[in-house]
Amino acid sequence: MAEFVFRLPDLAEGLEDAEVVEWRVAEGDQVELNQLLGEVQTSKATVEIPSPRTGRVVRVHAQPGELVRVGEPLVTFEVDDEPGVVGRVPHDRGARRRVRLRRPGQA
Amino acid sequence: MVQALNAALRQCLRDDPRTLVFGEDVGRLGGVFRVTDGLQDEFGARVFDTPLAESGIVGIAIGLAMAGWRPVPEIQFDGFSFPALDQVLTNLAKYRGRSRGAYDMAVTLRVPSFGGISGPEHHSESPETLYAHTAGLKVVSPSGPQEAFHLLVQAVEEPDPVIFLEPKSRYWAREEVSMTPSPLPVGKARIVRSGDDATLVAWGAMVRRCLEVAAAAEEDGVSLEVLDLRWLVPMDDETLVESVSRTGRAVVVHEAPRTGGMGAEVSARLMELAFRKLRAPVQRVTGWDVPYPAASAEHEYIPSLDRILLAVQRVLDE
Amino acid sequence: MDERRCYRLMLLARRLDEEAVRLQRQGELVAFPPMQGQEAAEVASVMALRETDQIFPSYREHGAAVARGVDLVGYLLAYRGAWNGGAYDFAGHHFAPIASAVGSHLLHAVGWAMGRRLDSGDEVAIVFFGEGATSEGDASEAFNFAGVYRAPVIFFCQNNGWAISVPAARQTAGEIWRRAAGFGIEGARVDGNDARAVYESVAEAASRARRGDGPTLIEAMTYRLGAHSTADDDRRYRSSEEVAERRADDPLDRMRATLEAEGVDASFFEAAELEARETIGRVRAGLTVTSDPPAVEMFDFVYAAPPPALARQRAEVGELS
Repeated sequence: MAEFVFRLPDLAEGLEDAEVVEWRVAEGDQVELNQLLGEVQTSKATVEIPSPRTGRVVRVHAQPGELVRVGEPLVTFEVDDEPGVVGRVPHDRGARRRVRLRRPGQA
Repeated sequence: MVQALNAALRQCLRDDPRTLVFGEDVGRLGGVFRVTDGLQDEFGARVFDTPLAESGIVGIAIGLAMAGWRPVPEIQFDGFSFPALDQVLTNLAKYRGRSRGAYDMAVTLRVPSFGGISGPEHHSESPETLYAHTAGLKVVSPSGPQEAFHLLVQAVEEPDPVIFLEPKSRYWAREEVSMTPSPLPVGKARIVRSGDDATLVAWGAMVRRCLEVAAAAEEDGVSLEVLDLRWLVPMDDETLVESVSRTGRAVVVHEAPRTGGMGAEVSARLMELAFRKLRAPVQRVTGWDVPYPAASAEHEYIPSLDRILLAVQRVLDE
Repeated sequence: MDERRCYRLMLLARRLDEEAVRLQRQGELVAFPPMQGQEAAEVASVMALRETDQIFPSYREHGAAVARGVDLVGYLLAYRGAWNGGAYDFAGHHFAPIASAVGSHLLHAVGWAMGRRLDSGDEVAIVFFGEGATSEGDASEAFNFAGVYRAPVIFFCQNNGWAISVPAARQTAGEIWRRAAGFGIEGARVDGNDARAVYESVAEAASRARRGDGPTLIEAMTYRLGAHSTADDDRRYRSSEEVAERRADDPLDRMRATLEAEGVDASFFEAAELEARETIGRVRAGLTVTSDPPAVEMFDFVYAAPPPALARQRAEVGELS
């Protein structure tokens, strides 16, 4: 078994967040791939979210009325191990740096 | 920023009954980014949807301006502004001249611009150089919500054609906006963060990126000044030269491809006007000389924190 | 027309379309423009052509891609934001890259067709576009050039009723198929939700083009049952009653009814559904194990050979990664 954290995707061209409208599943529920998890409201539309996995809902990270930022956890699933899955790099929304500056005159 | 733009348009439509807002999906839908949301309900026939034809949109704007209206048309995305380029370059930019001043071309062309939204092809272009290189146009880009309000009201009031490039990646940015007249005249840049060691010059979405760079540099004891050019045409040489004369170092940041980008124009002006104050050659951090890539490669194309910091290091090291 | 094959392809197109919207909601695709409701128009038209006839899609021709046998994982990579235009075998399938600049590709189809004619080839080009695209100046230029040069091209306009939020009645005051006469080319209007009618009209147009009698403008009347794209909320500009009404004319249901009336029994439809679901499952799995091209590839197809300055930029990206 493995854990899969489903993060809120950017649902339409640069949106920053979405508000949870309602859940159709609860923590502990077994869900199928594409089963309707719930609805979120973006600046543009109300959007139905289908389950990205078959598995058990371990944690729901926001309640109706709460705002979730894109890239933040929405639902955590317990899933069967998925061998051979190529990791997907999530959207790098934060500007992380690796370059450090040397002031003029420093070694 | 969407609400600030909406408020600006609402104010313009209210204050001047000759103002018109039109384009694809701007009326009933309120715009694909909701910038014109609710305007048709309030202002009726002065806000309308057009057929799918960018050249048509700009062409009729020219005619409407000749008939004494104040058109504020929208092109839905930067990458779709090109069918209208002929109308912009051949006519919008030249009509005042061609008519010896008989006609104002009081047209403000709103264009959602630039990248950083994982957009489909043609939805993330930086066309500012094409417009800046065309005599007769004014070109401006707001960096955030307050700027968007001030600059759009100001642009619409201009008797000259203004290309208004809205950074889509900043559409959902939030800040307090006061709905007052712009404190700065047309063509004025703004120092958005003061510093001593180098000046970062940017516009549009890259202003915020440069502020992130300045915050990171501060951690390393380097003090960076960030200059929001705002108006590409007319460009504020005075503020640019004053800042770079003080810091002695300049890094220009833009999303558009390097070759022939506005970074080259800024560099040339600094060389002409502040050569002896420069302690290092001007650096440019830009998009690469490739067509805007697909979403998955976007983060390697748009000037990143690290790339800009490396350029800052280069000017510090001279 | 092989009606069973047509149904299977239309069903696959429908299931692919539904799955792609779900994939977008799950963060796997970046954006997707559904073509639900247009399956007959897109599948039957391609079925009426040879495998070597050149297809010029816009951005909503998933049904045409299915009918042409394009690798669907490579096709969907365009909508995953992995590569603009798609990552499938364009030349092998005679299926041009996805074209998102509305109306700009009609001229490409005309040019291609003119090129075939110069070579005395008898392949034809078909270009897909919506009623909105006909408002672009480039579309009229394409019709005109095609007429003047008697280009072997089929202009296949899917009038699906909406250009994002603008209804067809506000897109043009005329009837699109009638413009053909003005350009001296053949024009026809067809029920785009009737697969057989679409097939016959395209077959006739292809025949005309192959014997040197020039282009045809076909206006296929259909309906966009879904929103413009996954970024669009169609409830803002049209009623759910209207959509429900038009759903009664669902081309997939009509095709099924036609087959049932001819005595095809339930087992055929069950098998088709199973086959479609299996294919979709393979597509989803394929997407999961297929990486995006590395970012440096943005430099690799700009020129035939990159100039030194560009090669240096590429090296800089390589260093930073």
